[in-house]
Amino acid sequence: MDQMLVILKNDLAELDRLAEATEQFGSRNDWPVKVVYRLNLSLDELVTNVISYGYEDGAEHRISIHFSYHEDHLTLVMQDDARPFNPIARPDPDITQPLEERGQGGLGIFLVRQTMDTTEYERRDGRNVLTMHKKIQREVPQSADGDTGNKNR
Amino acid sequence: MEILETKIDNNVLLLAFKGRLDANSSNAAQDQVLAAIDRGEIRLLADLARLEYISSAGLRIFMMAAKRLKPLGGKVVLCSLSEPIKEIFEIAGFVSLFPIHPERDEAVKSF
Repeated sequence: MDQMLVILKNDLAELDRLAEATEQFGSRNDWPVKVVYRLNLSLDELVTNVISYGYEDGAEHRISIHFSYHEDHLTLVMQDDARPFNPIARPDPDITQPLEERGQGGLGIFLVRQTMDTTEYERRDGRNVLTMHKKIQREVPQSADGDTGNKNR
Repeated sequence: MEILETKIDNNVLLLAFKGRLDANSSNAAQDQVLAAIDRGEIRLLADLARLEYISSAGLRIFMMAAKRLKPLGGKVVLCSLSEPIKEIFEIAGFVSLFPIHPERDEAVKSF
């Protein structure tokens, strides 16, 4: 069981720190690079939404993301005190439309849905609480033979 | 995030993206791309070889540029996408919106 708590300010510059934390957690748990990328993207989209549209008071706020990974199962819980917003209530954009009709909205959340196995939203004690699950298998370390064969130094 | 602009053959403006294109860096990137279009550049080649990361905020820039260029008879062509970047374009359904080439040379000739 591995856990990590990331607390971000409502400032888009924090996205770099979020990416670093996600990469660190993924790397120490041997997740495939592609999975780390997609998780980082999903959290980025959700946090960006909260920071960009969630607050109107111009004050500093905290957004927390709790990671817990146990037996190939990742649970992410994101909490914020922004105005009530259920990201999963949005309909998916139609990604088959031609350029002229393609809209701007909903793409970020769509990318989240395409990445997570489940996403649940709850408004609890004045906070948005988003709980997500994803099955992630550790990348099996290469065998001695395969390792030697791939060395191109 | 950095975008290096170079005028190359075929009256093409090469835009070499470098770094992370997220909601924090996308406004400046978008301003730069749209400014190029405003100056009359209508053949844009975005080389994404050194783009490390893209979110929906970054994807929108390409869509916006393509939308602006279409009535002007111009286009946005993409090349040299790394695997994770290509995957995001695929999931977002963006591969049908732009011509995408694996190599830059080939992309230049396609205009």
